[in-house]
Amino acid sequence: MTIAWTESRVLTGNEAVAEGVCLARVQTIAAYPITPQTQIVERLAEMVARGELAARFVNVESEHSAMAACFAAAAVGARTFTATSSQGLALMHEMLHWTAGARLPIVMANVNRALAPPWSVWADHTDALSQRDTGWMQVYAESNQEVLDSILLAYAVSERVLLPTMVNLDGFLLSHTAEPVEVYAGHRVDLFLPDFEAPYRLRPGEPRAFGGLADPGRYLEFRLRLQQAMARAAGVIEEEGARFAVAFGRGYGLLHAEMMEDAETVLMVVGSMATTARAAIAQLRREGRRVGLLRVRVMRPFPFGAIRRALRGARRVAVLDRNLSPGHHGILHAEVKSALFSEPARPSVSGYVLGLGGRDVRPEDIAGIVADVERREGGEDLIWWGTGAPPSEIPVPAERREALA
Amino acid sequence: MSGSGIPAVPHDLPEVPLSSTDTRANRTGSWRHVRPVIAEKAAPCHKACLLHAPIPQVMTALARGDIPAAGASLLNHNPFPAITARVCPHPCQVGCNRGRYDEPINIRAVERFLGDALLHRKGAPPDVSTGRRVAVVGSGPAGLAAAFYLRARGHDVTIYEREAEPGGMLRDAIPAYRLPAEILDAEIEGLRRMGVVFRCGVEIGSDMPLADLLAAHDVVFAATGAHGERGLGAPGEEHLTRGLEFLRGVRRGEITSASGTVAVVGGGNVAIDVARTLVRLGARAVVLYRRTRKEMPAIEEEVEHAIADGVTFEFLTLPVVAERVDGHLRLTLVTMQLGEPDRSGRRRPVPVPGSEHSFECDGAIAAIGEVAETKFLPKEVLDEQGWARADKATGATAEGWLYLGGDLITGPATVSEAIAWGRRAALAIDRRLRGEPPAAPERLLPTVSIKGINLDYFRRAPRTVQPALPVETRRLTFEEEIGGIDLVQAMEEAARCFVCGTCTVCANCWAFCPDAAIELGAEDAIPRVTLDYCKGCGICVVECPRGIIALVDEAKVEVRA
Ligand SMILES: Cc1cc2nc3c(=O)[nH]c(=O)nc-3n(C[C@H](O)[C@H](O)[C@H](O)COP(=O)(O)OP(=O)(O)OC[C@H]3O[C@@H](n4cnc5c(N)ncnc54)[C@H](O)[C@@H]3O)c2cc1C
Ligand code: SF4
Repeated sequence: MTIAWTESRVLTGNEAVAEGVCLARVQTIAAYPITPQTQIVERLAEMVARGELAARFVNVESEHSAMAACFAAAAVGARTFTATSSQGLALMHEMLHWTAGARLPIVMANVNRALAPPWSVWADHTDALSQRDTGWMQVYAESNQEVLDSILLAYAVSERVLLPTMVNLDGFLLSHTAEPVEVYAGHRVDLFLPDFEAPYRLRPGEPRAFGGLADPGRYLEFRLRLQQAMARAAGVIEEEGARFAVAFGRGYGLLHAEMMEDAETVLMVVGSMATTARAAIAQLRREGRRVGLLRVRVMRPFPFGAIRRALRGARRVAVLDRNLSPGHHGILHAEVKSALFSEPARPSVSGYVLGLGGRDVRPEDIAGIVADVERREGGEDLIWWGTGAPPSEIPVPAERREALA
Repeated sequence: MSGSGIPAVPHDLPEVPLSSTDTRANRTGSWRHVRPVIAEKAAPCHKACLLHAPIPQVMTALARGDIPAAGASLLNHNPFPAITARVCPHPCQVGCNRGRYDEPINIRAVERFLGDALLHRKGAPPDVSTGRRVAVVGSGPAGLAAAFYLRARGHDVTIYEREAEPGGMLRDAIPAYRLPAEILDAEIEGLRRMGVVFRCGVEIGSDMPLADLLAAHDVVFAATGAHGERGLGAPGEEHLTRGLEFLRGVRRGEITSASGTVAVVGGGNVAIDVARTLVRLGARAVVLYRRTRKEMPAIEEEVEHAIADGVTFEFLTLPVVAERVDGHLRLTLVTMQLGEPDRSGRRRPVPVPGSEHSFECDGAIAAIGEVAETKFLPKEVLDEQGWARADKATGATAEGWLYLGGDLITGPATVSEAIAWGRRAALAIDRRLRGEPPAAPERLLPTVSIKGINLDYFRRAPRTVQPALPVETRRLTFEEEIGGIDLVQAMEEAARCFVCGTCTVCANCWAFCPDAAIELGAEDAIPRVTLDYCKGCGICVVECPRGIIALVDEAKVEVRA
């Protein structure tokens, strides 16, 4: 007799999410469809309808309600899932604070998409990063395999530290692109991720209030506990990633470093852009250039220590941000600089904002950025890459010129 | 992480912001100024049904496939669902709330399924016998229904019937293509199994005076129908056959064919059945009616069927003379126009002067109204015009031992109305025989309208349709024209029912109440509101799918209490 340990299937990122949710034996799903996430919801609804997944699928009228329903389900101890994107995530904002503050281990897939206006449905990380202060852990996947794996890992971590996790995947680049994904046998996943026994939960016979009023003498302490949980999560993510590697042969951590030995120039990236960067850097390496790659997989808890350690010895860093904090810089750039501030010897750091609204980031762009950053010894905070012209030369409409002068 | 030097957190704080005490300490009920009141309401179908059948309960039971429970609820109000499913015009379906959402529930089809399923199973003799004896005069639907409920309550029942076979209009008038004789026979078999005694061929009044029945019985219930037929009241009226006579002849196999053009005078159910029967016998039927289609008293659906069968209609037409000419019949017709409304509220037809014209045909049948015969009744129960009078709620009359009901009281009405009279009289007679005071009149609960239904809980679903013979076929035969549905279809149709106004213990109120103030009782008990915690938010009112919970001002509740 042969036991099928894994099955290799060609899946889109959205399908990989649904397979992961099914394998995790999620008990409650409340979600609202939005491009480019819709197929996740459709796929899960089918799985529930066909009885492949013994979950309650709650249809809701908005993302705010979706997260409210998830709150309730998680509060009674159910393993809970939702998925959204961009505008939908923005609408959830209030409930993101509620669920994290109530320490509910909900897992959400967010398909990264630019925020409007102007209207866009393509990849951009500003949607998720705008929610970075809500208390949710944030993971960014590079491939569809990592998408599936990250869903399983997210439950393993969330249920230990009692914090929700947002698993991010790039709109269309991952969500709608199919590639081979290993789907594990259910019994193996059950061993890795047993049923969840919630330590705190609502019991109708013994009613308690979740998230009730805390007077000024207590609120601060609850925030402190949240922060402590985040601190603990950094270690738990590494531990669970290692346990996952033993179970399934693939490991995950906070920060993935590649080609970093002797690297003078380091590119820091997030999400699917890493695949392009890896290919471009490998080529540069073949040409004898000393370039390395750091992929930030987890944005919350932010891997301060791992980044400091990884960048010891580097001369310059180019941070590639597929996001923008208007009036500031790219968000990862700002956070990397804050991580390095306490270092006695630190590399110069340049911030590149690129790929917004789904603009292609090609191998030539990576090679161009490496060449560009090598010319900027002191570092530059905000370099718009791929707009076709330096920012000072972007034409200003005639009627605005006077006002700006 | 850059968060070293973490201060100690007080030990009494839990890891998550969860209240340390039971929230029941906080009596949120004190915030309330309005309160939800859970009280069942009447469904529009239940209200419209002449028998006030508990349709939502029947549908709930049948939706789970529980035929015995569905049957028990239905038989409690309607002893002969196999009959009513075939002939009742189903006013219940007209007001069905689901009709304002997608399509009304096909109550008729579900009733027919249940009626047919129970047809040969009904009829257990009563467990106890009271030894009291009731005579029922007339075996139409009113008499049969009274016998059913009286016998079920343990009384000895004998039915006296003038004709050779029981059934009244069900056997002698309503055509076989709508109500096959086997159905009626099976219902009567059921009554015989219960122990009801039939004495047919006995006309009370002529063969035996009504008062003689008292020698052997405690109470008499008479429902002799409305069988006296009005004539045309015009010269030559003897050339016209009477409608009931014709239909009886057909049902008894005495009339087997018809040909040529036959005029049918009238606009009621009898006229329509006569016309449709003529078509099946091979004739061309023309209905002559003195008003317009809008004023026709016949069941609308039947009129449509007649038109489809090929019956033609001449409206605003009245025959004033009938004469035989060369083996033909010549009718002189006048054209009518509608004038002022009469007592019935319908506009009175008045002749258009000089509009006389002749109409040649091979025969004519008058179906212009039936009246009750009351000669056999004691004068005490008649009014000045000689019509019989009885209390609507009980059928009781000025003679304590005599109860009346059905067409005898109402004039030509419907089968369901006759059954309702029989049932009400049976319940009143039962109380009388037990020496109990008359029951308080039945009060219907307020009706729940579509506004009370939370449509979000109901999926759109198409209505189940009964199979039917194609028009080309049905107009050639007396085979039953409408067919039945099967169990799965009946369950699906029953599952479409909103169950308006009746609690199904769906527990939505319990699930949605943010203060856990709804208490579920035993399995099918209606949930209760715990007022200590209900803060009067009204969420349960909105989330109740079937409109059972109302929000009432607290001040008004106190006044009433
Ligand atoms: C052609 C036709 C079609 C109809 N179609 C429909 C329809 O589709 N749907 C509907 O709901 N209604 C219909 N009706 C009306 C319905 O049939 C009657 O309203 C109903 O049958 C009345 O019931 P009942 O018990 O009061 O009287 P009946 O049904 O008339 O029964 C009275 C019985 O009493 C017997 N009787 C009379 N006098 C005596 C006596 N002195 N001694 C002993 N027995 C006596 C009669 O022989 C008869 O059997 C129709 C009526 C007709 C004529
Ligand atoms: S939906 Fe059901 S309960 Fe409501 S009116 Fe129609 S048949 Fe009656």
